Amino acid sequence: MTAPAPQPANNDILVVDDVVVRFDTPDGTVTAVDHVSFGVRPGEFLSVIGPSGCGKSTLFNVIGGLLGHTEGVVSVAGVTINGPHQSIGMVFQEESTFPWRSVTDNVAFPLELVGMPKAQRIERARHFISLVGLDGFENRYPNELSGGMRQRVSLARTLASEPKILLMDEPFAALDEQTRLLLGDKVLQIQQQLEQTTLLITHNITEAVQMSDRILVMTYRPGKVKRIVDIDLPRPRTSEIVGSEAFGRYVAQIWADLREEASRGMRDEEDHMMHHHAGGAS
Amino acid sequence: MADTSRVTPLRAPAPAISPVTLLRVAIILTVLSVWELLSYSGWLYRDVVPSLLAIGRALVDLLTHGDYYFNLAVTAGEVGAALLIGGGLGLIVGITLGANRFLSKAFESYLYYLGPTPKIIFFPIMIMWFGVGPGSKIALGTLSCFFPVALSAAAGMRQIDKVLIRVGQSFRASTVQMVFKIYLPAMRHPIINGVRLGLGVALIATLLAETKLSNKGIGFLIIQAYSIFDMPRMYAMLIVLFILSIGANSIVGRLGGLDSIRRN
Repeated sequence: MTAPAPQPANNDILVVDDVVVRFDTPDGTVTAVDHVSFGVRPGEFLSVIGPSGCGKSTLFNVIGGLLGHTEGVVSVAGVTINGPHQSIGMVFQEESTFPWRSVTDNVAFPLELVGMPKAQRIERARHFISLVGLDGFENRYPNELSGGMRQRVSLARTLASEPKILLMDEPFAALDEQTRLLLGDKVLQIQQQLEQTTLLITHNITEAVQMSDRILVMTYRPGKVKRIVDIDLPRPRTSEIVGSEAFGRYVAQIWADLREEASRGMRDEEDHMMHHHAGGAS
Repeated sequence: MADTSRVTPLRAPAPAISPVTLLRVAIILTVLSVWELLSYSGWLYRDVVPSLLAIGRALVDLLTHGDYYFNLAVTAGEVGAALLIGGGLGLIVGITLGANRFLSKAFESYLYYLGPTPKIIFFPIMIMWFGVGPGSKIALGTLSCFFPVALSAAAGMRQIDKVLIRVGQSFRASTVQMVFKIYLPAMRHPIINGVRLGLGVALIATLLAETKLSNKGIGFLIIQAYSIFDMPRMYAMLIVLFILSIGANSIVGRLGGLDSIRRN
């Protein structure tokens, strides 16, 4: 509220400023996100990476406006947001296509909500279906598609709402490795083509390095910003970059950061389980 | 087209008359023969088992008189109104309970207790409130079909995939849009099931009430034929009712079946 912006000449389109999220649980108050601040520049691909339990999904929901935060400000183009905002388009980790709608009707969903005429929204939907490479599947239903294809439908649906910022929470987490890499290529290609500002939440280092301009590494509980790494790899990129030497260096560097956090998380979980069992036995 | 997804399993070409059909026809013929023999045997009081010819004549007589169609329309109207009112209220109450933990905790156990209670016990009250005419039948049918629809809707509401709701919220859908574009389509299977159950019990309640005390409707005609011991006419009406019930069931079943092509 009273905190001044970190840099006055800031042209970040999305600003997360000193955000804190606390939850009340039966075991007391838990701080999931602890004074996190960062900005996303227009057209940038930023990944937030961290071990399980670092509060990155909480951050996703806060930025998307689906979850309130305890302290701090999230703003888009200088406007503070409270609740879902039209500038932010979310892609969820879980299977999220509407099974009762065809591919076209799924993708046209956000356009339908704002009352766009039918002919126009179908045309627009077709455009985004083509963009994610699903030509010929317009009239299929989600149960007739593979998991990777369904996730592309979700992506097309979010892109159809033409968000200023594409916000994705581990969109490939449920997919097998090959599909994940190929879909990553597709996302990269679309992101580069549309110059789409993108914020990706992930726990996959390869994925993050492959796609990002910058990677924000979070600490294990409470989730803080540990480091922000610039990924200085040439664009346009594809998954082929995974084989390069520079790529390997970045992966190693980020793993060094993450490793510490992930092992803290693991210890913490083991402790928790031990206490839980001891408590249960007494 | 969604049609391309419909897979028809290959079947061996069926013989002109399959053994199953043959068996079925044989059973029907046997039953009819035994019936006919019984009716001519004189073992039973006259017309308790009327001859098939008499039933056939009564059937023709029934179907050629407008009087029957009028009463059929009365019963159909009663069931339809019961389904509309009871089903509509059930849907609203079910969705409300399904969406609200507090209300569900407070009230849903009443639904579970009242649901299986035979609603016919409330018939005397309904007669006092709504009279002997269609009003009391509609009231009883409404009461019957409210519960299965409400319970199915409440359960269906809770089964909705939470992420679909979050998708709707992230696209800033209004409450009305959430209900009509996400909640209702997402719970279409439990709702269709509830309506199917609701139709069944509404039909039972209405006909039962008509046979108890009424001045119009199919149940009234049946009990009237019984009271003047016009057995052929009574059997004719039972046959028509039987066929109509099968038809109604298959139509509702078709509604559910059509949908399952899309996705379960």
